[in-house]
Amino acid sequence: MPLSGIRVIDVGNFLAGPYAASILGEFGAEVLKVEHPIGGDPMRRFGTPTTRHDATLAWLSEARNRKSVTIDLRQREGVELFLKLVAKSDVLIENFRPGTMEEWGLGWDVLREANPGLVMLRVSGYGQTGPYRRRSGFAHIAHAFGGLSYLAGFPGETPVLPGTAPLGDYMASLFGAIGILLALRHKEKTGCGQVIDVGIYEAVFRLLDEIAPAYGLFGKIREREGSGSFIAVPHGHFRTKDDKWVAIACTTDKMFERLAEAMERPELASPELYGDQRKRLAARDTVNQITIEWVGSLTREEVMRRCLEKEVPVGPLNSIADIFEDEHFRARGNLACVEAEGVGGVVVPNVVPTLSETPGRITNLGPPLGNATYEVFRELLNISADEIKRLRNRKII
Amino acid sequence: MDGHESNLPLAGIRVIDAATVVAAPFCATLLGEFGADVLKVEHPVGGDALRRFGTPTFRDGDTLTWLSEARNKRSVTLNLQHPDGARIFKELVAKSDVLCENFRPGTLEKWGLGWDVLSQINPGLIMLRVTGYGQTGPYKDRPGFARIAHAVGGISYLAGMPKGTPVTPGSTTLGDYMTGLYGCIGVLIALHYREKTGRGQYIDAALYESVFRCSDELVPAYGMYKKVRERHGPHHNDFACPHGHFQTKDGKWVAISCATDKLFARLAKAMGRPELASSSIYGDQKVRLQHANDVNEIVRDWCSSLTRAEVLERCYATATPAAPLNDIADIFGDRQFHARRNLVAIDVDHTGETIIVPNVVPKLSETPGRIKSLGPRLGEHTGEVLKDLLGMSEAEIGELRARRVI
Repeated sequence: MPLSGIRVIDVGNFLAGPYAASILGEFGAEVLKVEHPIGGDPMRRFGTPTTRHDATLAWLSEARNRKSVTIDLRQREGVELFLKLVAKSDVLIENFRPGTMEEWGLGWDVLREANPGLVMLRVSGYGQTGPYRRRSGFAHIAHAFGGLSYLAGFPGETPVLPGTAPLGDYMASLFGAIGILLALRHKEKTGCGQVIDVGIYEAVFRLLDEIAPAYGLFGKIREREGSGSFIAVPHGHFRTKDDKWVAIACTTDKMFERLAEAMERPELASPELYGDQRKRLAARDTVNQITIEWVGSLTREEVMRRCLEKEVPVGPLNSIADIFEDEHFRARGNLACVEAEGVGGVVVPNVVPTLSETPGRITNLGPPLGNATYEVFRELLNISADEIKRLRNRKII
Repeated sequence: MDGHESNLPLAGIRVIDAATVVAAPFCATLLGEFGADVLKVEHPVGGDALRRFGTPTFRDGDTLTWLSEARNKRSVTLNLQHPDGARIFKELVAKSDVLCENFRPGTLEKWGLGWDVLSQINPGLIMLRVTGYGQTGPYKDRPGFARIAHAVGGISYLAGMPKGTPVTPGSTTLGDYMTGLYGCIGVLIALHYREKTGRGQYIDAALYESVFRCSDELVPAYGMYKKVRERHGPHHNDFACPHGHFQTKDGKWVAISCATDKLFARLAKAMGRPELASSSIYGDQKVRLQHANDVNEIVRDWCSSLTRAEVLERCYATATPAAPLNDIADIFGDRQFHARRNLVAIDVDHTGETIIVPNVVPKLSETPGRIKSLGPRLGEHTGEVLKDLLGMSEAEIGELRARRVI
């Protein structure tokens, strides 16, 4: 595995940051989830419960490929143990509110002294610097602050959630994983570690194509666009006769020509009518209405069939039930059924991306709290069984 | 190269970006920000379609999206459909580390530029292949854009008012960017593996998979309990309440999220009604979830009695997670964005004008990324690359140009 031999400590909570550890784990890194001895990561209680008291479905899926080690970082001895662990690791991932680790005596200066090659990912709502750094921030807050939530919904109406609640946590983790892999490369060349500082809102904001330059240059404020797009028409969601939905995206004139053919109204794509994107944008409502009526007269299956025959970019708006039925998801192995200790088989999303030589894999789902505490302290830190017992009794681990 | 440049983690890595629009090219953008030399290989006529995606500018009509997202790249025109173009492309591949492409499966193969050919020329090559549906499976030949990927991957179904028309999940290009991020992770992992073994590989990324992967417990909850998640509108109260968008007196919006009881207690205090967080009223998340409509109404009433600034000031005073739903004008005026230098003005070459673009994410302490230049002119660097990298003469280059190979 490409990352075998890399040890990662994930001391974060929930997803923003920890998901980066999941990715590293999928490609061979050893991931130690360091958790508070009482209760552990609150994600163990977030989402739909399972038969295991210390694991929701979200925990089982997203805490994949980890070993759980309990340490109380609020106790002096816990901090000392943690530093020993850091000395034997390559990567540390945390997402406490900025200043928290410093309060525990675990600031970057201390950590770097323990391990000069350490790569540390710090994820927080607003980043480690700036006037709002101490504010608490979750993905929901970051979607709003980063400018994404303002854009989801119909013009002039209530802004809705942009699909899923933790999207920004994933985005921040993806950027975080990139930062870690870059920093590991630098470390291999120079021996020198560093800090990666990600604000969740920044991850969200970075992905908003030309929204910033368009405001900077022309003062253009993008508004909510409902199910459409300012870029092209028709480009949106349409209801079928059987009350399902399809997405159609005619980004170019060629695509619209194909759609007109699929509708058996090729004349619509003539230059006098709507063959030109600018003309379609100018006649947005009319073009959308034509598409609404055509899609509304057919079942989803029929719309899909006719569009695909003409190579029109089209897709069903899949619910999760549709996804479980879909032959392409099955063929690509996107749904993996993995055995979870004490729960049985759980279906989870498989590894993304797919590498040809060194594909990632899921070795285990979210671990029971503290399942590797003994093993790690005994074997990695060489602490005696008696001492481990004493630490356990005093609830330091 | 100055000290900082040669110190960048990807200094010495050459990337060919033969892809179009956002998805695979965004991977190359990220690599370029951290020191890789990115050659944007474009068709001699018109080039990358991203040049026409979005708002046109004073610079040859190239759009703002192009100028921003093709940052740090050098443009080399090359007609891959022409046998001489394919030959030159192979020579470039032989001198590169990474290739990003997003043609429909089978297209490069048709031009004699498939993985088997390229990996023979360069056994250490890392190739990122991005398509709507991936290189395998029954739908692999279907056209796919981010909008389609959002639909197929399950996120569009979830955005919108309950039972209402599903809306765009904020931005039509999200899935492209997310795939660029996953692709970049794949490339960096493959580079790591290549350092150890010398062997390259390809990464098979599908737009719909990137979206689908970021779906928290959607999959296991259906697998185990047949629970089908529906559109939630502005509130998501499956696990936490309140968690949604609320309108303020001045017609603006705020997001408030109380994932835990402690956070709700802070909100209750901010509202001047600490008793709401008592165990006999709404102190317990389970009780709040059962009475989500009532709790949301209390928060809605409170928010609508104050301006956005007042709501936020009170929430911040008790450390309640809250934020404005910023439009881009709000963002340009925000202190945090300025303090973090999230917006940066960069010169558009040869024009004396600057445009403001989003700065590099993530921030690395020792080897920060940087934006050296914005999206290049079409073919701006064709001559220099063919000369410096492949040792071609002016005469050869002129001849290729006359034949429209470049």
